[in-house]
Amino acid sequence: MVMPSVERAAAGRHRRGATLLEPPTAPTRWGWLSLLAMTRLLGAVVAVVLLAVHQVSRHDPALIVLTLGWTALSLAIFARSEEWQRRPWAWALDAAAAIALVWLSEDWRSPFYVFALTTLVLPATSLPFRPALLWACAFTAAYLAVAIETELDAGTLRSSIRVETVATHLMVPIVVALALAYAAELLKRLHAERERSERLAIQTERQRIAWELHDSAKQRVHAAHLVLSAAVTRAGDGVRGGIEHALTELGAAAADMDTSVAELRAPLDSRPVDDLLRRRARELEAAAGATIDVSGSLPPLSPLVAVHTYRIASEALTNAVRHSGARRIGVTLSDGPGGGAIVVADDGVGMPLQPRPGSHGLRTMRSRAESIGGRLEIGTGDGGGGTVVALSLPPECGRGAEP
Amino acid sequence: MIRVLLVDDHIALRAGLTAVLDAEPGIVPLDAATSEDDLWPALRRTRPDVVLLDYHLPGRDGVALCRQVKRTLPPPKVLLYSAYADASLAIPALLAGADGVVHKGAPAGELYEALRLVAKGRRVLPPLSRELLSGAGARLDPEDLPVLGMVLDETPRGEVARTLRLEPASLDARIDRMLDRLRVEVPSGADV
Repeated sequence: MVMPSVERAAAGRHRRGATLLEPPTAPTRWGWLSLLAMTRLLGAVVAVVLLAVHQVSRHDPALIVLTLGWTALSLAIFARSEEWQRRPWAWALDAAAAIALVWLSEDWRSPFYVFALTTLVLPATSLPFRPALLWACAFTAAYLAVAIETELDAGTLRSSIRVETVATHLMVPIVVALALAYAAELLKRLHAERERSERLAIQTERQRIAWELHDSAKQRVHAAHLVLSAAVTRAGDGVRGGIEHALTELGAAAADMDTSVAELRAPLDSRPVDDLLRRRARELEAAAGATIDVSGSLPPLSPLVAVHTYRIASEALTNAVRHSGARRIGVTLSDGPGGGAIVVADDGVGMPLQPRPGSHGLRTMRSRAESIGGRLEIGTGDGGGGTVVALSLPPECGRGAEP
Repeated sequence: MIRVLLVDDHIALRAGLTAVLDAEPGIVPLDAATSEDDLWPALRRTRPDVVLLDYHLPGRDGVALCRQVKRTLPPPKVLLYSAYADASLAIPALLAGADGVVHKGAPAGELYEALRLVAKGRRVLPPLSRELLSGAGARLDPEDLPVLGMVLDETPRGEVARTLRLEPASLDARIDRMLDRLRVEVPSGADV
C-alpha cells in the first residue's frame, strides 16, 4: 500500500471533521446544472438570433420575450432548489414548454431545437440508464407529433435530404440522452468507488494506529507505571507524593490510550452520548434481565469528553448489571449551569468493602474522569442500599469550549 | 524463592519487569524471552517455577503458548500478563491451563502478590461475572459446558476426562476447539 496517499486521504477526511461518516452525496449535481445552464443559454441565444435575423413566424417579438423569460425562470427555479432538479414533473413541464416554443415557431426545423434538447440534461443525468432512454423516446415522439402538426407532409417525405433532416432531428435527442446517462452513471460509480476506497483507507489507517498505540506506546506506559509502582514503596516521604502523582498520570494515560484504541476500533461517530447510553442500556437490559431507565439529557460535549463520558457511564452500568444483582437501575442525565452530570443508581448489594482482586474497572473510571477534569463519586444509595455512581462534568467541557 | 521466566515482545516491559522483579526479595527473574522461538530453549535451560506470559505476542497468542507450556514436564505455573482491561481473557486462559491473569496496569505490589499466590498453587483471576460466563457459554456447544464448568471449578484434567469418559487426547482436542471459539480478538497490525 502506498502510504502517502492513505495519509492524504485520512488527512483530507480529518479536515472535514464531523462529515467523516456522512452518507455520500452526489457531488456532480452542480456540474450537471451548470451544463444545463450553459447549453440552455446557448440554445436561447441561437433561437433569439435566428428569430431576429430570419423572419420565422408571425409573432417573432413575442417568441423572443417568451424564450428569454422562460430561460431565466427555468434556470432560476432549478438553481434554487435541488429537489426540483430531481422531480419528473418539473422536467416534464420544462420539456413541454420547450416543445410548445417549437410548435409556436410553426416549423419543426425550429430555431428552438437546441433549446428543446437542453430539457434532456436533467432527466438523462438523474434517471437510471433505461428510464433515461424511455424519457428520450417520449421526447422524440412529442417532437415528431409537433413536426407532423406543423409542416411534415407527404411532400417533405419524398425529398431524401429532408427525410435525412427529420431522422437527424429525431435521433439526436436519443443520442444526447444516452451519452449523458452513460456519463452520469459512470461518474456515480466512480464516486462510489472512491468513497469506498477512502473508507477502506481510513479503516486500515485506524487499525494501524490502534495497533501501534496498543502494541507500543501503551506497553511503555505500563512499563513505566510498573517500575514506578515498585519504587514508591521504597521511596522516602519527600518524593513519594511526586511518584504517586506520576503513577496517577500514567494510569490516566493508559486509560486515554484504551479509550483511543476502543474509539479507533469501534468509533462513536460523533453520535450523542445520550443516544449511545440509551442503546447500551437496552442491550444490557436484554442480556441481564434488570430494568434500566434512562432519563434526562446531557449538554453537547466535545468529542474527547464525549468518548470518556460514554465509557465511564457504560462501565458503571455494566458493573451494576454484572456485580450488584440489581433489579432496577436508573440513569439520570442532566444539564446544569455547572456542567452536565450522569448519575447511575441501582438497588443491588452495594459496593464490596474490599475491592475485588484484579478489578481495574473502577481505577480506569477514575482515570478517565480525571483526564477530562470531571469528578467521579461512588457511594451508597438513599436508605443505605445499592450503589450510586455520579459523574459531574466541568462546565467548560461543552462543545463551545473547543473551536 | 520463586524463579520466574518472562515472555514479552516489548523491550520496555521486559526491562521494566526484570528490574522490578529483581528488586523484590524472594522473586528471581531468570531470563526474558522475546518470542515463542526464544521461549522453548529458555524453558528447558531455566526450568522456572512461574512463566509470566504476555498475551499478545507475534505469532501465536499467549493462550495458545500457555497450553503448550503446560504440556512440558514438569509443567511450570503460568501467569498471563495482559493489557486488556476486561476479564474476557480469563475463561480462555483457564481452559488453556493458566494459573492466573494479571493486568499490565497493576502496580508492582499486585504483581508480586499474584506471583506468590500462583507459585503456592492458588489461582489469581479477575472476577468472572455471570454475563461473562453466559457470553462464553453461548459461544460454545452445549456438550462443552460440562468441560467449562469443571475447568472453572479447578477439577484436574485427568478427572475431567474420566468423568466424561473421554480419552485425554480427545479432551485435548475438545479444549482446542473451545479455545478457538473463545478467541479474544486483538487489534491487529497484520493487514497493514
